[in-house]
Amino acid sequence: MFAMIIKRVLSAIPVLLIIATLTFCLVRVVPGGPFDEDKNLPPEIIKNLEAKYNLDKPIAEQYLLYLGRLVRGDLGVSYKYVDRTVTDILGDAFPVSLQLGLAGLTIAIIVGVPLGTLAATRRGTFIDVLAMFISTAGISVPVFVIGALLIYVFGIWLRLLPVGLWESPAHMILPAVTLAFGPTAYLARLTRASVLEVLEKDWVRTARSKGLSAYATVSRHVLRNALVPVVTVLGPLTAILVTGSFVVEFVYAIPGMGRFFITAVMNRDYDLIMGTTLLFAVLLIFTNTLVDIIYHFLDPRIRVED
Amino acid sequence: MNLGNEPPSLDWHTTTDSTSFDVISNIMNGLTQMDGEMKIVPALASSWEIEEDGKRYVFHLREDIFWSDGKPVTAMDFVFAWRRLQDPDTGASYATFLYDIQNAYEINTGRIKDLSALGVEALDQKTFAVRLKQPAAYFLSLTSTCPTFPLREDVLVEHGSKWTDPRFIVTNGPYRLHKWQHEYKIELHSNPDYFEGEPRVKVVKMFMVPEQSTAFALFENDELDYVDNRSFSTSDVERYLKSPRYRNLPLLRSSYIAFNVTKKPFDKKLVRRAFAMAVDRSVFPRILRREETPLYGWIPPGLLGYSESTGLRFEPKKAQALLARAGYPGGKGLPKVELLYPNREDARLVVEAIQDQLKKNLGVRVELVNQEWKVYLARRKKDPPPLFRGAWGADFPDPESFMNIFTAGSGNNHTRWSSTRYDALLDKARAEQDESVRASVYQSANRLLCEDEVPIIPLYLATQNILTKPWVEGISFNALDIQILKNAVIKDPAGKDGAI
Repeated sequence: MFAMIIKRVLSAIPVLLIIATLTFCLVRVVPGGPFDEDKNLPPEIIKNLEAKYNLDKPIAEQYLLYLGRLVRGDLGVSYKYVDRTVTDILGDAFPVSLQLGLAGLTIAIIVGVPLGTLAATRRGTFIDVLAMFISTAGISVPVFVIGALLIYVFGIWLRLLPVGLWESPAHMILPAVTLAFGPTAYLARLTRASVLEVLEKDWVRTARSKGLSAYATVSRHVLRNALVPVVTVLGPLTAILVTGSFVVEFVYAIPGMGRFFITAVMNRDYDLIMGTTLLFAVLLIFTNTLVDIIYHFLDPRIRVED
Repeated sequence: MNLGNEPPSLDWHTTTDSTSFDVISNIMNGLTQMDGEMKIVPALASSWEIEEDGKRYVFHLREDIFWSDGKPVTAMDFVFAWRRLQDPDTGASYATFLYDIQNAYEINTGRIKDLSALGVEALDQKTFAVRLKQPAAYFLSLTSTCPTFPLREDVLVEHGSKWTDPRFIVTNGPYRLHKWQHEYKIELHSNPDYFEGEPRVKVVKMFMVPEQSTAFALFENDELDYVDNRSFSTSDVERYLKSPRYRNLPLLRSSYIAFNVTKKPFDKKLVRRAFAMAVDRSVFPRILRREETPLYGWIPPGLLGYSESTGLRFEPKKAQALLARAGYPGGKGLPKVELLYPNREDARLVVEAIQDQLKKNLGVRVELVNQEWKVYLARRKKDPPPLFRGAWGADFPDPESFMNIFTAGSGNNHTRWSSTRYDALLDKARAEQDESVRASVYQSANRLLCEDEVPIIPLYLATQNILTKPWVEGISFNALDIQILKNAVIKDPAGKDGAI
């Protein structure tokens, strides 16, 4: 296990290097630069700004300078938020997204997995139809519609919860529910399909014929096997949720990092684009490694390569 | 209140956007300030003399002005600040504001390395002198703007790029920066030592809510005390038009359609004039629904040199005749024309209306091309299409701020049009100290731009829409879209804890 983790960490280095290189090149290929503004700056000013940020140097030199900084843990500076480094920006925003993302993920797991299991064990009944209707709606209704609806009902009409901002735990409820809607639906559908597949297995029939109750069969045996595909998607899902959602953060005015995936590109804020991409990549690698470790405990037949 | 977005920076030398200026204008003062009528009145400088036919300004600073750490504001703080603004290492976008000062351009472009060569001088603790290389009648207006605010050298030396952090920043305005939660909220506290007296509203919370409907919901739930365009959708504006708490204020921000005069058929003046006369500007307030002011000349109402009669009016018959004279009767023979615009909702509504009008009034087929903001900017700069949509907001309340963008050397003139006569008129207006003469020179330049040569079609002046809670009074909004809170009053402090 330990060797596997070391191997994963080592193999992550070239992966991150490739991602960094591709991102570095792609952002510079896109037309428009960080200092293109509605009010065009005089060439002298552009020259000063480019010199300040080393953008006047050849691309290859810029790339090497960037990598040199990256190795030292320096993610660079923002061209838009001129007094702040990328580390400052992500350091402020990531913890917020992490909190919100984990809250959303928790809701998705504790609602989605039981809902899917219930639908599978009551296949073809009204409960199954209702659960699948809810999950189809959760997948197909856009997040901003869900957000606006929840704000209207709970914030404006019933006045039970805050309509936005990030002041207290109560402010987290509506955004976390909004964020969880899609993943809950997805996990419910996946769990249902997976549980149905396992329920068809011979050993399930054996367990039932030996007198084990339906509840005990499902909770002790079926779910353990059915959760493997669910856990597989939890890796990337976690990385996506904890790095923030542009729409949810936008709608509820939450100071998370989801917005930077969009605004950094719109502003051509090169180092910030690199920073958000690399952070996402690191989290994705980390959560996938975690998933591999969980596999080991869920199903010993899936042996991680030692 | 709602700022809408995170201010990119509170460094008044490097930032250029109105969100940052909304904060900076409430925590800092410059030599002068604008009153409600956009007239320049004293601020940190109690008086000034203009000498040597407008080439030398001497400002006398007040005795009772202090930084937030208790130290007095001195002329040396201005000398340091203005030198820093021109220092190429600062990378200040608005260094151009002070290019009229002796050696400013040379220092900013690296031709002169010695910052002390800049034409600014502290004659004593409280007297600040400026030498211009040529007279600039608008210079006083510039001294009210954020990039010209003073700065303390010791603070910058001690804290480097972190000097705008609330723990380190020193300011001299009606409010002090108390807290800055990035991408979320800025909190200002009143300055008890402010020279005009401590503001009555003690705490100002500036939230950064980007989504209009959320901000408006916060307003309706009494969590915001006033909202403006950033928090106020068009449908909400319509709901509150009749409310006594609703206000509408024209901004010095204009929209226009520009021609690339080097591309056919717009190399012909007659075609450009025909297009200008075929666009009915009165439709824009109906489409955009924020009570915009239709615009025919390029100098907006309220500024020196504005004349209601300047500009080509909507006259479709005459437009058709002009197009026929240009060799395109009924639009026949005209190539399909491309009109570039950025992917913004208001821009789309405007260009669609223009496309429709040009088809109806001139028989011209216009192809609309929508591009992402930065791609649009890059295209406009490198290879401007035959027609493109543009907008311009004044940096200071003077016709110069509008007119100079269409001079030959301006980086904002994407029309590829230039006129030595126009440039000469602007040079003359800049140097002219007599206001009435200056106004008539700008009027001539405005007619040349909007009636004779027509490289642009001015469309409308944007407005600020404001809705306040009944308990809020005294917030002033100026046409540069800066909101000053120092005279704000909360009428029911028991219910609102004296905060905005």
